[in-house]
Amino acid sequence: MKLTLRINGSVVEQDADPLARLSEFLRQVLGLTGLKEGCCEGECGACTILMDGAPVHACLTLIFQAHEREITTVEGLGDAGVLTDLQAQFAGAGAVQCGYCTPGIIMSAEGLLRSTLTPSDEEIRHALAGNICRCTGFETIVRAVAAEAARRCEAGC
Amino acid sequence: MLTALAPVRPSNLAGLASLMAGPRPVHFIAGGTDLLVSGRRLPETGVIVDLSAVAELIGIDCSGADIRIGSATTVASLEAHAGLAARCAALAQAAAECGSVQIRNRATIGGNVANGAAAADLIPVLALVGARLEVMLRGGVRTEIALGDFQPKTGGLITAVVLPGRALLPRSAFAKLGARRDLTISRLNMAATAEFVESRFRALQIVAGALGPRPLRLNRAEEALEGRTLDPDSLRGFMQVLSTEVDAAIPGRASHAWKRRAIRGVGLDLIARLCGLSPRDPVFEEAL
Ligand SMILES: Cc1cc2nc3c(=O)[nH]c(=O)nc-3n(C[C@H](O)[C@H](O)[C@H](O)COP(=O)(O)OP(=O)(O)OC[C@H]3O[C@@H](n4cnc5c(N)ncnc54)[C@H](O)[C@@H]3O)c2cc1C
Ligand code: FES
Ligand code: FES
Repeated sequence: MKLTLRINGSVVEQDADPLARLSEFLRQVLGLTGLKEGCCEGECGACTILMDGAPVHACLTLIFQAHEREITTVEGLGDAGVLTDLQAQFAGAGAVQCGYCTPGIIMSAEGLLRSTLTPSDEEIRHALAGNICRCTGFETIVRAVAAEAARRCEAGC
Repeated sequence: MLTALAPVRPSNLAGLASLMAGPRPVHFIAGGTDLLVSGRRLPETGVIVDLSAVAELIGIDCSGADIRIGSATTVASLEAHAGLAARCAALAQAAAECGSVQIRNRATIGGNVANGAAAADLIPVLALVGARLEVMLRGGVRTEIALGDFQPKTGGLITAVVLPGRALLPRSAFAKLGARRDLTISRLNMAATAEFVESRFRALQIVAGALGPRPLRLNRAEEALEGRTLDPDSLRGFMQVLSTEVDAAIPGRASHAWKRRAIRGVGLDLIARLCGLSPRDPVFEEAL
């Protein structure tokens, strides 16, 4: 079936099974491999994308449900090869080790920062509770998100 | 892989009604957070309808005596709605504790009810306030039924959940216990509503979830606090009765021994929230 989707600011027309998982389509058909398929059960958050600006699991969304929604993957946050400010904060804070969880966490953090630029540490943890990181212990991740919130606040973004 | 199941994404109820009047079996998907977890298979034939774009199924109306919530309203919207929090704090609190941000952004109230899991977090609150369901049957007939009367197998569509205004007392609260703090399925949850007259509990009603397949009204626990003030003695009596409620509900179950202890803590959290206090307040610490 020919599907028309809005992904990372572009209109994408593609033949695909409308009942396949969006995560599978984004990774395997469109090559947007930033998001990961960890559990496919909504538990790990590695597949997090923004749908109309809000973090959701691509693994629990069927492709046809994304019709007429604005889909953003981690690739859509910036230009290829250049870290966004949020990604740079993660790198600077040592919030990335194996990196498997990182794209999902970046998307959850981006969703949070689009709704508030003054989150408390508690609010950051609550917003990232759906993302599992086995390496970092999370403290550096919270620091990175708080630093980016402060930077955006100062920059008046 | 192509299947004979046809996906449809109607934008209004009229479109959905005409699908339901047709000859093919109609299946619903809203947030997909129950339907799409692995291990479950999609139906093989018929039509699968995404409810998330049907305008009439989305929204919270608190302007009348009753509160009317469209079935495809997300749990995140319940969590964020100030009017709902003011009139039924328990539902907003239960919504805030469902899954993760990602789950709440997709999961719907209709899906929570239709899936009917014993551990579902919205259901005890809805049972507490005697919520009613607006349902559209195949053929387009509209009807209103009690929460417990919904039968998913009949193929009916829940169009809205109605919280009757007369049941919405000034105070209500929700508390849950899971295997971890965040993103956790309830092992036990409780919802309560009450009013305070001259600092005494009045008209207290309590419902527990995950103590059997359906939400359970805890009449004896209600009686233990009815007319009493908030003090360590009252709370100790309340906790004892809570344990006996578990004894009566799930005797001999593997979870019986720990749930009869755990319910005491969940009960204290619930009463603390109901009174707008921290569970660390000395009155609760002393009761332990
Ligand atoms: C990781 C994870 C964590 C979770 N945590 C919680 C939690 O903490 N608390 C909790 O209560 N739940 C939790 N859930 C379960 C789930 O998110 C909720 O039950 C949710 O409300 C289901 O809604 P949905 O819209 O996603 O349902 P769907 O998956 O879309 O549908 C579920 C079922 O209901 C039917 N259905 C949906 N809408 C209607 C309707 N309007 N009329 C008739 N039938 C309908 C569907 O056909 C399907 O059979 C969790 C799930 C996951 C994956
Ligand atoms: S892959 Fe989607 S939550 Fe784990
Ligand atoms: S950096 Fe390895 S899982 Fe998070």
